[in-house]
Amino acid sequence: MAGTFSRNGWIVWLTFAIGLLLSVSPLPQFMEILRPLWLALLLAFWALYLPHKIGMVTAFLLGLAEDVLYGTLLGQNALILTLITFLVLSLQQRLRMFPMWQQSLVILVIFGLAQLVQLWLSALTGNRQPTLALVLPALVSALLWPWVSFGLRGLRRRYKIN
Amino acid sequence: MGVRLLVLVVLSVALMVVDARFTLLKPVRSQMSLVLMQSYWITDLPQRLWQGVASQFGSRTELVAENEKLQTENLLLQGRLQKLAALTEQNVRLRELLNSSALVNEKVEVAELIGMDPNPFTHRIIINKGERDGVVLGQPVLDARGLMGQVVELMPYTSRVLLLTDTTHSIPVQVNRNGLRAIASGTGNPERLELRHVADTADIKEGDLLVSSGLGQRFPAGYPVATVKEVIHDSGQPFAIVRAVPTAALNRSRYLLLVFSDGRTPEERANEAAQAQEADRQGGDGAPVVPATVPKPATAPAKPGAPAAPAAAPATPARPAAHAVKPAAAKPPASKPPAATRATPRTEE
Repeated sequence: MAGTFSRNGWIVWLTFAIGLLLSVSPLPQFMEILRPLWLALLLAFWALYLPHKIGMVTAFLLGLAEDVLYGTLLGQNALILTLITFLVLSLQQRLRMFPMWQQSLVILVIFGLAQLVQLWLSALTGNRQPTLALVLPALVSALLWPWVSFGLRGLRRRYKIN
Repeated sequence: MGVRLLVLVVLSVALMVVDARFTLLKPVRSQMSLVLMQSYWITDLPQRLWQGVASQFGSRTELVAENEKLQTENLLLQGRLQKLAALTEQNVRLRELLNSSALVNEKVEVAELIGMDPNPFTHRIIINKGERDGVVLGQPVLDARGLMGQVVELMPYTSRVLLLTDTTHSIPVQVNRNGLRAIASGTGNPERLELRHVADTADIKEGDLLVSSGLGQRFPAGYPVATVKEVIHDSGQPFAIVRAVPTAALNRSRYLLLVFSDGRTPEERANEAAQAQEADRQGGDGAPVVPATVPKPATAPAKPGAPAAPAAAPATPARPAAHAVKPAAAKPPASKPPAATRATPRTEE
């Protein structure tokens, strides 16, 4: 898929690699529960600004990678990330027009929904988790969205990724 | 776009079902993990570097102090080991008299923790030994103080260990004092285990040591698991509420021991122990680990049929240097000496 980029597509993949690292980086015990959904954030951004390049297939593959890292059932995070990307893509035209705080709100809703699906899936596989705490990562991700968005937009402009 | 979504969703659901029900996807997973598990290693790198730097620049006085401390500790452990040899031997004899089955001998290998599971609701860790190192599914993992958990997922060079305190984990235990059997279940709290279905009148009290009973055929018997912290007798409850604290430092230990149970027959073990002692006698001048005050346990050759391996515990003279750093639990039949013992990796990194 990297071949379809006209130039500097590798930077997008680099950000995904960093996202994978961040999603397993050790955190203090009390912060583990707040760990943002890094891959979902990155996917949402690139799907928003490069919708013709980054799509659901990318999300699916990254999700599989995350499954291997987390030791969950193969396909669980793939499903979640695919759903997130689908929602972002279908809202893409409107989302790009929104001011930042409104984008954050939409991200909160989308990620919250995804986390609920996650909860449902882990309940199916027998690992029941405390309900409300699981939405916290969505909240943290929504709060981080403006910063991630600014940063990646700067990166995109600097390296003219399109 | 909708079609693509549908295809991908169906595909991931199918993958999940296949992964849950069959072993078809295990090779795929292990191939992917070969690359991906490096990220745990990478995220662990800063800490390794920090440790390396700290050990490089550790001041002389600190090192001397540490050395002294380790030597004292070593002496204490050695002392305890002498007694252990005699006791094990006695135990073996008594068991023979009673015609009960022989104790199974275990060997251990040192592994290093390289990552924690990012999911805060599960207690799992990643260690740096995998299928290629001979790790098997369900293998028990210890630290210096007690049982930690068992291997639940194998990858080529890493494996995932489920800790005792995970909510999905239970371990059969018995009270060391009187042999009362119970099942200790994880609670999701790293400092707490709970004993399920203990009768209100059962003889169990605060401070009791719980050791693994070996009944589940998964964990070897006799390793410390937890100490009882509180016993609550609530007349409204059908059973007593018993809470225990794991003896292992579940969220602090960095070096762990993988237990390999010994599949050899007693005769083979005895022969090997005899050989080891023979070799010890020939090259006896080098590094006499057993002090002279203790009579050389001349036990193993006396009875070739006896599973007397532990009697010859400090006897691998071919590698006299290895003696000093070998962890106390390591028995001589370890085919691979635990090369990365606690002392060495710290200086290397």
